[in-house]
Amino acid sequence: MRYVLRRLPVLVITLWAAVTLNFLLPRLMPGTPAGAAVAKLAGQGSVSASQRRAIEVMLGVPHGSLASQYWQYLKAIAGGNFGISYTYFPEPVSKVIGAALPWTLALVGTVTVMAFVIGTLLGVLAAWKRGSIFDTAASVGCTFMAAFPYFWTALVLLYVFGFVAGWFPIRGGYSASVSPGWDWSFFVSALGHSVLPAFTILVSGLGGWVLGMRNNMMGVLGEDYIVFAEANGLSPRTVALRYAARNALLPGVTAFGMALGLVVGGSLLTEVVFGYPGIGYLLYNAVVNEDYPLMQALFLVITVSVLMANFVVDLIYGLLDPRVRR
Amino acid sequence: MRTTIFRVAATLWANRKARAGLSILFVFAAVAVLAPLLAPYSPTATNFARSAPASWSHPLGTTGSGQDALSQLLYGTRISLFVGFGAGLAATIVAMLVGVVAGYARGPIEVILGFATNLFLVIPGLPLMIVLAAYLPTRGVGTILVVVSVTGWAWGARVLRSQTATLAAREFVAAARLAGEGIWRIVWHEIVPNMVSLLAASFFGASTAAVLAEAGLEFLGLGNPSTISWGTMLFWAQNSNALLTGQWALLVAPGLCIALLASAMSLVNFGIDAIGNPRLRER
Amino acid sequence: MDTRPPSQSEHAPLLTASGLEVLYEPAGGPPVHAVRGVDISIGQGQLVGLVGESGCGKSTLGYALARLLRPPARIAAGTVVFDSTDITNLDRKSLRGIRHNGLAVVLQSGMNALNPVRRVRGHFHDVLGAQQRLHAAEVDNTAETLLSQVELAPSVLDRYPHELSGGMRQRVAIALALALKPRLVVFDEPTTALDVIVQRAIMDTIARLQAEVGFTALIISHDLGLVLGATDQVWVMYAGRIVERRDSPALATGPLHPYSAALLACQGDPTAEKVELGGIPGSPPDLSKPPEGCAFAPRCWLSGPPCKEEPHEKLVGTGSVTCHMAPTKLEVPKLIRRVDGPSEPIPDSGHGAKVPTTASAAVAKGRGRHRDATTAEPLALIDVTKDFKTKRAAPSEGVQAQGLVQAVAGVSLRLEAGQAMGLVGGSGSGKTTLGRMIVGLERPSSGSITLGNLRVDKLRTRDLPRYWRRVQMVFQDPYAGLNPLHSVGYTVGRAIRNHQGLKGDDYRRELLRLFDTVGLAPPEHYAAKLPHQLSGGQRQRVVIARALAAKPQVLVADEPVSMLDVSLRAEILHLLGELRKNTGASLLYITHDLLSARLVTDQLVVLRQGHIVESGPTSSVLRSPSHPYTVELIAAIPTVQQSQTVPAGAITERPGEPV
Repeated sequence: MRYVLRRLPVLVITLWAAVTLNFLLPRLMPGTPAGAAVAKLAGQGSVSASQRRAIEVMLGVPHGSLASQYWQYLKAIAGGNFGISYTYFPEPVSKVIGAALPWTLALVGTVTVMAFVIGTLLGVLAAWKRGSIFDTAASVGCTFMAAFPYFWTALVLLYVFGFVAGWFPIRGGYSASVSPGWDWSFFVSALGHSVLPAFTILVSGLGGWVLGMRNNMMGVLGEDYIVFAEANGLSPRTVALRYAARNALLPGVTAFGMALGLVVGGSLLTEVVFGYPGIGYLLYNAVVNEDYPLMQALFLVITVSVLMANFVVDLIYGLLDPRVRR
Repeated sequence: MRTTIFRVAATLWANRKARAGLSILFVFAAVAVLAPLLAPYSPTATNFARSAPASWSHPLGTTGSGQDALSQLLYGTRISLFVGFGAGLAATIVAMLVGVVAGYARGPIEVILGFATNLFLVIPGLPLMIVLAAYLPTRGVGTILVVVSVTGWAWGARVLRSQTATLAAREFVAAARLAGEGIWRIVWHEIVPNMVSLLAASFFGASTAAVLAEAGLEFLGLGNPSTISWGTMLFWAQNSNALLTGQWALLVAPGLCIALLASAMSLVNFGIDAIGNPRLRER
Repeated sequence: MDTRPPSQSEHAPLLTASGLEVLYEPAGGPPVHAVRGVDISIGQGQLVGLVGESGCGKSTLGYALARLLRPPARIAAGTVVFDSTDITNLDRKSLRGIRHNGLAVVLQSGMNALNPVRRVRGHFHDVLGAQQRLHAAEVDNTAETLLSQVELAPSVLDRYPHELSGGMRQRVAIALALALKPRLVVFDEPTTALDVIVQRAIMDTIARLQAEVGFTALIISHDLGLVLGATDQVWVMYAGRIVERRDSPALATGPLHPYSAALLACQGDPTAEKVELGGIPGSPPDLSKPPEGCAFAPRCWLSGPPCKEEPHEKLVGTGSVTCHMAPTKLEVPKLIRRVDGPSEPIPDSGHGAKVPTTASAAVAKGRGRHRDATTAEPLALIDVTKDFKTKRAAPSEGVQAQGLVQAVAGVSLRLEAGQAMGLVGGSGSGKTTLGRMIVGLERPSSGSITLGNLRVDKLRTRDLPRYWRRVQMVFQDPYAGLNPLHSVGYTVGRAIRNHQGLKGDDYRRELLRLFDTVGLAPPEHYAAKLPHQLSGGQRQRVVIARALAAKPQVLVADEPVSMLDVSLRAEILHLLGELRKNTGASLLYITHDLLSARLVTDQLVVLRQGHIVESGPTSSVLRSPSHPYTVELIAAIPTVQQSQTVPAGAITERPGEPV
């Protein structure tokens, strides 16, 4: 508990810094994104004064001092008022994001954890059987797997399994014949649509974890406590898992926190390729349509989500390593 | 410093993985330099049949706007290498400055730089790049280079910071102070030369990330679509539904090149890892 | 295997090795022949010590005997038999059976021998659970019994390793080894890196347990004194071979191999009226190119023409020696001597011819030039304290785990010009912090430090370099103290340029003079070397040369010999004594080693947990200590009865010996 309390200020400061960065970005950029956005929206239809105000607050129309703009901005964020989307006019940005978020969380969240767990286990195995054919194959294979861009893997899978073989749907998050809701047919459809994206993220992410865990294991295997455990006649299984892997996992968890940003970026590209109705595809559409209010809010949501996930990882680390607790 | 670099290079070459990686990099570099001699056509010439399948005259087929795909692929090496190494270098320089100062300094500078590093480490890079690229008025290789460098330094800075702090606590640094050396001399002559392999590792790490990021950004259309690069080739292939028309080579070829380049850099980094960590050395 | 010294028949051998060879084959390097044909046996219930300098192969031999060698090291030839089972090529699974059957190991210092994420209780469950099916409650009971045997409270079971001190961790490791009901325990440097007093306590515990539990033990150590006091028999190892194998009392009183004699001469009793110390010049051979003939010959003051041949093992009473010259009267040349009264480094004698002691002559040349501008001034500390904030409470010996640790608590002392003062204490006594404050690397939390009229604790950072022309430090670790990438000439040269501002020929001359002063001759040859091309002793000489480049009035030496083999202790101490005599600089000598303090200092200050507990003239503090802590420190030193006579007992060629 004290560990959590000690970590909390760091989270708060990091969140504040991320929010502030989001505030500064459009204001530091050449040109006036806010003006452009307002002009664009005006072309769509009538924009209420409050909506207009929200966009100006988010993107920065230079009236009022910077400090007062900042204050307005913080208030808007606290109220979840990010303005309205140009692409999905006249939906408010918050609503658009709210619809996309569950898709990404379900897909990316699940698969990332899966990739971490599977990759780590394979890494343990490769290090324990170091020098074996399995080790060599895993090392070489993973080096290449980790080097392929996510979107390219996505395209190839899409082509082979979606287009040529026709086993899986090639676009979207669910088929047009079902409507989103808590029913079986929707669930099956969504699951079918998520197989290829999930596989992409899994395949692209796995390699890094395998290699990372293998390296950590190799380091730990040279430690005195491994030699001592062996000298005490513990079973190889116990030494490998409870002594070696358990310690090698620690840097892995730290790396997991830091790699999250990378995974999110990759997943985003994957969503674009598959037209998956998540945050990534939304961001892509926002960029293509120069929908600045949506883009701005999405960046904030993504960053905050990653920060929160990192915080959780940090807490898990605290559970795993008694040395940082207390 | 120079002898250290030679020493690291020699040790690298002795490592099997690193040698493989370096060889691939040399081949790519040669292709980039010799592209005009190797390419059968101008990469921008549009006077061929559109979306033609592979043939003897066009081994990879032609694009939707009638360019020779092989020539584009060869010329595209230039952009990938340029952005990869350019952004890698820029990010490494930033990482070194931030890391060394944060690792050696005490007080508020250390805290602030450390915090900035951790912040940039957790902020998801690609979304930040996308937003930056979207806001910037000009689109092109330069923009991508800047964006990738700005977002890619944090990892290296973190590693270099902790290594600097470790080295700074070593007795030879205290001894150098007592020998009357100034702070810059200590940093440049005592600390930095002991981090050459880490610097190389951050360079190749940042370059790998840059190659992948550049391809991703261009694939999303955030580059200048008229430049010839692997990323834009993929962008056009996707936009002209090359897969659906069966022109898979347009997608597979640049993708493989990106993967090969990125793995070559990773291989070099495994070699560097082995220098720093003898336990990983191959027997 | 065929012949065994007669006396050993009374103990049935529990472990034997014959013709044992260990090769270490690193990637991209030449193979190192770390153990070269070792025949040994340990009888049931024996306590055997295995000693030698670092790099002589003793730990490798220990690991080979316990079958713990990892690639790239491997047993290349020979056999190891434990309890009449040949374990040389046993597979992992059968080996586990052997371990459960009583072959246990305690590793170097035990600091990292415990899984950092597992409580002590978990360790016991792993070990006890692996060999027998026991209920958790039974395991706990057994674990508590084992812990009480190593003098630890049951509450330790619920601690994580990082919550225990180094000594406690080593005790836990011993208890875990005991859990196997071992018949043989291999202790690999069991007390290295522990506080002196803790070292003694651990050794006492091992001895008591051996008597109570009755296991057989092999104790590997670099410290001959420690081993002699605790064992029945000692094996002396040099360059991958056992060169002498004797009963401990016999070795203590009459070593037969010059190497054993020299190692013994590196020991001494700091409380004696007259203290002498010998050393061994040079360093052990590079075992990737095993030497022809006697490996010790290049460092031996007795070596003659026969030493070009490989010596044979000769049986002596219950032991053996492998030397052409044995038996001879072995009188080891001494390098430094101290009798009650002023210090007395030994002038060059015929004996010391092989020892690099050009120092004295060179220093004499440099004399007169030295004390030029500034005259020596006294250094005074008044009520100095230093508090450290601990980020994470990691209790070490004697330091309480709190947010704030007071490393130095109100120390006042005065180092007169030209005086040599020793600052002694165990780990956590604050002695190193005190030294760092005096040279200005740390600032005191309160109190004042003055050199003459200069307030050292108030110096601004940019004024420190000028201060360092007057006060210099010799660092502890000659391996970490030199930048591995710079030639040692560059390292010393930078200090000359910065502190003396010399250029061109003057610079060059001064550089060569300094190398000569510290006994690195020819200087041109050494100046071009990188640190890794030098031995530990040579590196420490470079470190001293760098400190001298500033021509300091005060030299602070922080444990300058603690990282070196004992064989090098005498020459470095001798050098320090010479330098002090010839330059008139005052010396603050920080150490945990009372013997070296006795040899180079006039005044002694004993520190404990940041407080001065006793001070006075060195010999009187050591010979009639008044504070219990000083008494404890002195009691912690293993003392060896020495005499230099060859014992009775005929020496015979060992029959059937190959080579």
